[in-house]
Amino acid sequence: MPETASSAAQHAPVVQVRDMDFCYGSKAALHSIHLDVEYHRVTALIGPSGCGKSTLLRCINRMNDRVAGARVSKGEILVKGKNIHDADVDLTQLRRQVGMVFQKSNPFPKTIYENVAYGLRVHGVKDKTTLDEAVERSLTQAALWDELKDRLQAHALGLSGGQQQRLCIARAIATMPDVLLMDEPCSALDPIATLKIEELIAQLARNYSVVIVTHNMQQAVRVSDFTAFLHLGKLVEFAPTEELFTNPREKLTDSYLRGTFS
Amino acid sequence: MNNPFAGDNTRIQRRETAARWALRMGSYTVVFLTVSIFLFITFKGLPHATKPGFLTELTSTLHVIESKSGEIIQTGPAQADAMKQKLGDQFVSEKTISYSGGGILGPIVGTALLVLVSVSVALFLGVCCAIYLSEYAKKGKFLETVRLAILNLAGVPSVVFGLFGLGAFVLTAPVLTNAPADRAIFVIPLGFTNLSFQGWDTCVLSGGFTLAFVILPVIITASEQCLQAVPQGFRETSMALGATRWQTIWRSVLPFATPGILTSTILGIARAAGETAPIMFTAALAFKDKLPWQKDLPPLPADAGMFAHWEQSVQRFLGIFTESVQALPYHIYTLAAKIPQNEYSEQAQYGSVFVFLILVASLAATSIWLRIHLRKKYKW
Ligand SMILES: Nc1ncnc2c1ncn2[C@@H]1O[C@H](COP(=O)(O)OP(=O)(O)OP(=O)(O)O)[C@@H](O)[C@H]1O
Ligand SMILES: [Mg+2]
Repeated sequence: MPETASSAAQHAPVVQVRDMDFCYGSKAALHSIHLDVEYHRVTALIGPSGCGKSTLLRCINRMNDRVAGARVSKGEILVKGKNIHDADVDLTQLRRQVGMVFQKSNPFPKTIYENVAYGLRVHGVKDKTTLDEAVERSLTQAALWDELKDRLQAHALGLSGGQQQRLCIARAIATMPDVLLMDEPCSALDPIATLKIEELIAQLARNYSVVIVTHNMQQAVRVSDFTAFLHLGKLVEFAPTEELFTNPREKLTDSYLRGTFS
Repeated sequence: MNNPFAGDNTRIQRRETAARWALRMGSYTVVFLTVSIFLFITFKGLPHATKPGFLTELTSTLHVIESKSGEIIQTGPAQADAMKQKLGDQFVSEKTISYSGGGILGPIVGTALLVLVSVSVALFLGVCCAIYLSEYAKKGKFLETVRLAILNLAGVPSVVFGLFGLGAFVLTAPVLTNAPADRAIFVIPLGFTNLSFQGWDTCVLSGGFTLAFVILPVIITASEQCLQAVPQGFRETSMALGATRWQTIWRSVLPFATPGILTSTILGIARAAGETAPIMFTAALAFKDKLPWQKDLPPLPADAGMFAHWEQSVQRFLGIFTESVQALPYHIYTLAAKIPQNEYSEQAQYGSVFVFLILVASLAATSIWLRIHLRKKYKW
């Protein structure tokens, strides 16, 4: 990706987490997280279960606002240079520009077309040609267009698991977000479907900045440019993927990667 | 050959058998009773309900005239005198039985109108309330208290609702009028007219609103459950795509809760149609010789324009809801408890009960059909 390499250099990190603490009510979940998500790069979050990967991810589009008592208690998150907790930030605009794909593929029980068009519709787009174009573009980018172009009016739940997850990706990129957050997008899929999504992620990085949570080390190695290792709510190490996996600076990272983790 | 799996008839096994039989007998008893009641009513009511005019005529007094030859003639008040005259000295005796002649068109229409009003009101208020409780309200003590209050409301005896309706809708509800009645509790002048708290009188509107409150707890509780049954993932995904809360509810929650809400609504209809006490003081009459839209409006002058005709139609339509009506359950109550019993009143009574039963059964059937149909459309 030589051309994106040069353009990425000109961009400041698209997401900047600045020394952030996060808690669910009285229970602290994240401590002093400091992390930059580079423009048009794939950043992987790894770590043992319960270490706060999903929590961190959901902070970036403020999905945690839905959880009663959950709040950022220190620090800040900047997306495209803007503090997302500022009073003049409109949540719907933030989420339009920071898309999210969930662990369980969860298309709406509507047609394929309506699923992809959902994000645009809620933002008031009514024009048929705009919608048609967006649907085609999103499905193409999600590597689904050729498979589905004749069945756009079919029910989305009739698709296979892997197709459903790619449909969810298409739905998330239909609003052309800058950042795409993915929480274990392959954990419910078989190896072939997983491979397809991984290929897709590599391609998506041309147009989007991707943050992906994964339990699969190999996957992190295959898809990501940077990897962050979290443990007990702390960011232990954050480095280019190759460096982190071949030559980890922290002992904790090393033992986690070797699987000799207590 | 010896059987390695032979039972040893222990206490545990005997208890299992006893439990199975107890449960089975319980269910059979219920089924048996239900079927017997249904058959009994059909047997007693079907012959009368299928008499010509029973579904299409208004209720009237039944005249039973006996002639010397032992012939017994049943007729309405209009033909009774002519019949007696025709019999001349053949005439022996005449009995009149109130409310037992003619048909039950009046009660059927009345019940339909009451159900229409009550379900519209209850559905609107109930769904709003359920959406608020399920989607907007903060979880906590207050919400639990509200839920508890709603559940308690479901346990209030229906006669209490009737009295509440009498006080609230018949006697105090506000109307817009140029000439407030003396009984108005207070009047707020609005300049061009007055808002007078003088009540709506006994009418379809008062009864419908009262019934709405009877079924409201059922509708709120059921609707809330239906909303809660819609996967949280739909809401998360929708919000993550930048939808507002209302857009999320409107596009991704409500459509999938609708089948369930409608089902509970139809059961609510059955309940509203069957209640007697709430309409006793608020809407129902034992007897009425006109349908609600058969009202004498002043005749229009010959040169009245389109607008005058149109205005009168609207007036006639609105007038339907400000009339008191007969209603099926109240009609049955009248026949059973307010007039002396004899074979004729009994026939009319069973006929009405049978018709009512069929109406309720078909509502239940509709609800099942609707559920199956919509589930297919909005399955997840
Ligand atoms: N809604 C919530 N309310 C309270 N605590 C929560 C909530 N969600 C998560 N937590 C807690 O926050 C911590 C981090 O959870 P999180 O879901 O972010 O972990 P994770 O790294 O994504 O784990 P996994 O790999 O199993 O998905 C855990 O201890 C969890 O119990
Ligand atoms: Mg997680």
